[in-house]
Amino acid sequence: MSNAAIELSHVSKRYRLRRGWYVTSLRDEVGRLGARLLGRRVEPRADFWALKDVSFSLDRGEVLGIVGANGAGKSTLLKIISRVTVPTSGSFVARGRLGALIEVGAGFHPDLTGRENISLNGSIMGMSRREIQNKFDQIVAFAEIEQFVDTPVKHYSSGMQMRLGFAVAAHTDPDILLIDEILAVGDASFQAKCLNKLAELKQQEKTIILVTHNLANIRAHAKTVLWIDHGQVRMVGDPDVVVDAYLEHMMAGMTAASAGTLAASGWVSHDVVVLGVDTCNEREQPQIKFDRGDVVCIDITYSAPAPVPGAVFGVSILDIHGYPLGGIVTDPDSVKIAAIADRAVLRLTLDPLLLNKGTYTMNVYVSDPALRKYYDFKRKVVKLIVDGRKAAAPDATGYIYYPHQWEQVK
Amino acid sequence: MFETFKNVWRQRHLIMSFAMRDIKARYKQTALGAAWAVLQPLSMMLVFTAVFSLFAKIPSDGIPYPVFAYSALLFWVFFANVLGGGTGAMVSNAPLIRKIYFPRETLLIAVIVAGSLDLAIASMLFAVLLAYYKVAVTLSILWVIPLLILQMLFSLALISLFSAIHVNFRDIGHGLPLLSQLWMFASPVAYPLSVVPKWILPIYMLNPMTPIIDGYRRAILQGRPPDFGALSVAAILIVLCCGVALTVFKRAEGTFADVI
Repeated sequence: MSNAAIELSHVSKRYRLRRGWYVTSLRDEVGRLGARLLGRRVEPRADFWALKDVSFSLDRGEVLGIVGANGAGKSTLLKIISRVTVPTSGSFVARGRLGALIEVGAGFHPDLTGRENISLNGSIMGMSRREIQNKFDQIVAFAEIEQFVDTPVKHYSSGMQMRLGFAVAAHTDPDILLIDEILAVGDASFQAKCLNKLAELKQQEKTIILVTHNLANIRAHAKTVLWIDHGQVRMVGDPDVVVDAYLEHMMAGMTAASAGTLAASGWVSHDVVVLGVDTCNEREQPQIKFDRGDVVCIDITYSAPAPVPGAVFGVSILDIHGYPLGGIVTDPDSVKIAAIADRAVLRLTLDPLLLNKGTYTMNVYVSDPALRKYYDFKRKVVKLIVDGRKAAAPDATGYIYYPHQWEQVK
Repeated sequence: MFETFKNVWRQRHLIMSFAMRDIKARYKQTALGAAWAVLQPLSMMLVFTAVFSLFAKIPSDGIPYPVFAYSALLFWVFFANVLGGGTGAMVSNAPLIRKIYFPRETLLIAVIVAGSLDLAIASMLFAVLLAYYKVAVTLSILWVIPLLILQMLFSLALISLFSAIHVNFRDIGHGLPLLSQLWMFASPVAYPLSVVPKWILPIYMLNPMTPIIDGYRRAILQGRPPDFGALSVAAILIVLCCGVALTVFKRAEGTFADVI
C-alpha cells in the first residue's frame, strides 16, 4: 500500500450548463423530451469541464499549495477532495480523517447561540460529543468570543462569525486539512493567529492542502505547489519555480489586457510612443538576469510622429505583485526631447543595481514636463530577474539592498 | 440498505445535533413555543369535528368523534410534517451541502427525530382527551410501536426520494402540500374504514398508510390488534420502497452540491 494521503488519478469533472443555471423545472425537461419525440431538434446542453484529467498524489505530512486564476478549477478540486461532490470520471482516494476550512461558518444557524453552534458545527465536521466538550474552551478562546457564547450567532459581527467558524474547524484534529482562502480574511492579529495554527499543524505532520491567492503564504508554507489552469494541471513542483512561472503567466495576461484598455480609453495621447524597452549589461549585451551590484542598462526606444515641445521619461520598478518600489524620472533640464522625428533610444543606467533576489518588472512612461498628461504608458513592459548567484551569503531581506557595513564600535 | 442503517448508528450524534438545531430554531422567537406542536392537530380535529361529525354526520365506529379524529390526526400530522420538512431538507441546508461533506441522509433522519418530539408533545393532549372521554386503554396500545416504526420507515423512503428529486426539480416542493392533502383524504383519517365502499377496497388498501392509521385506532381506542393481512402487504411495500429510495438517494447525493 502506498503512503499517499491523497491520490487522484485522471479525475475529471463536468458541469452541465443549463438555462437558469442548474436548477431546471420539470416543464423544461418534459419539453425537451417532447421535442425529441416529435423529431424536432433539441439544443444540445452545453458542457463545462471544470477539471480535465487531473492526477496527483500527496504524501502524508506534506503541505501542498494550489495556485491558479479564478475559475481555473481550484474550488472544484477541493470539493472533490473534501467529498462534497464526486468526480465525473477518474478515481480519488483519501486516507485519514479529513477536515476542511472552506468557507467557515457554513454550518451556523443564525438563531442558535455560539455554544449551540459550536456543538452543531463540530458534529457536522465529524467530532464526537466528548471531543467537542473537551475542546470547547479552547475553541471559544481561539475565536475570542468568551462574552458572547450564549448570544445567538445572528447578533455576531461578521468577523466574530468567521473567527468562530475557523476556530471550530481548526480544532477538529483532522489528518488531512484543506484550507481555502481562509487566511485572506480577518484582521491582522487574527491572520497571525491562523498562521501560527497552520505552523502548529505543520509540525504535527498533518497533510495540508492550501489554496490561496496569497503567494507569499504559499511560498512560506508549501513544500510542493500545483498550478492548475483551465481545469488541467499545468505544473507541479518546487514552490519557487511554480509560483514564478505562474506569476509570469499571469503578468503576461495582465500586460496585454491593460495595454488594450489604456489605448482604448484614450488615457495616453501617443504624442510620443514607446516602441520597446530592453535591458542589457555594460557591454551592450542583452540580458534579463542580473545580480545585485551589476550594472543594468535600460534602453527605451521611442518615436514621436510630430515634434513634441518637451517630455519627461519615467521608469518605475515594481515587485512581482505590481507594487511600486521606486521610480526614476528624467530631469526636464538635463534631457531635452524636443521634436523627435523618427526613432531614438534613451538609456537609463542603474549602477550598481541595489535589488535583492527576486523577480521585478518595470513601468515605462513618457509625459509632458508638468506630468499632467501621459504621452505613453507601458505597464510591466520589461522583466528584471535578480538571481542572487554571486551574492553567496544572503545578508539582506526584502526588496531593496542597502550598501552597508557592520562594525563593533564599543 | 443495511449499510445505511449501520451508518445511522455511527452518525447518531450528528443526527441528534441536526434534530436539536431544527427543534430549537423552530421555537426560538415564538411566543407559544412548543404549544404549536399541539395546536396543529388540535385545530384540525376541531374543524373535522364540526364539518364531518356535526354537519355531515359521518359515523365514527361508536367512538366519540373528537378522539376518533385526533387518534389519526396525531400521527397524520407527524407524517405530513416529516414529508414537508424532509422533502425540503437538502435545499434548506444548501449552504452546508455545498461546502461540507457529511452523510446527507442524516438530515432526513433528523427531520423524523425532530418531528417525533412534536408527536410526543401532541400525544399529551391525546392522553387528556382519552381520559376525558373515558376511553379504556388496554395493553394492545403496544401495537403502536411497530406501527410507528413502519410509518417512520415509510416516511424515510418517501423523503429520500422526494428530497433527491427536489434538488433537481423544485416542482415537487409546490406539489407536495397538495399531495399530502389528497393523501389524507385517501386514508381513513377523517372517516372510519367501515364507510369505504367494498368495490374500491382492493385499491384503497394498497395505500400503506391505510392499515397503519387504522391500526393506531384499533390499538388505542378499540383494544384490538391491527389488520395483519393488510398490514403485511403494507410492510412488504414499505421495505421495498425503502430499499429503492435509499439506493436512489445514495446514488444522487454525490452531485447534490453541483445542482442544489
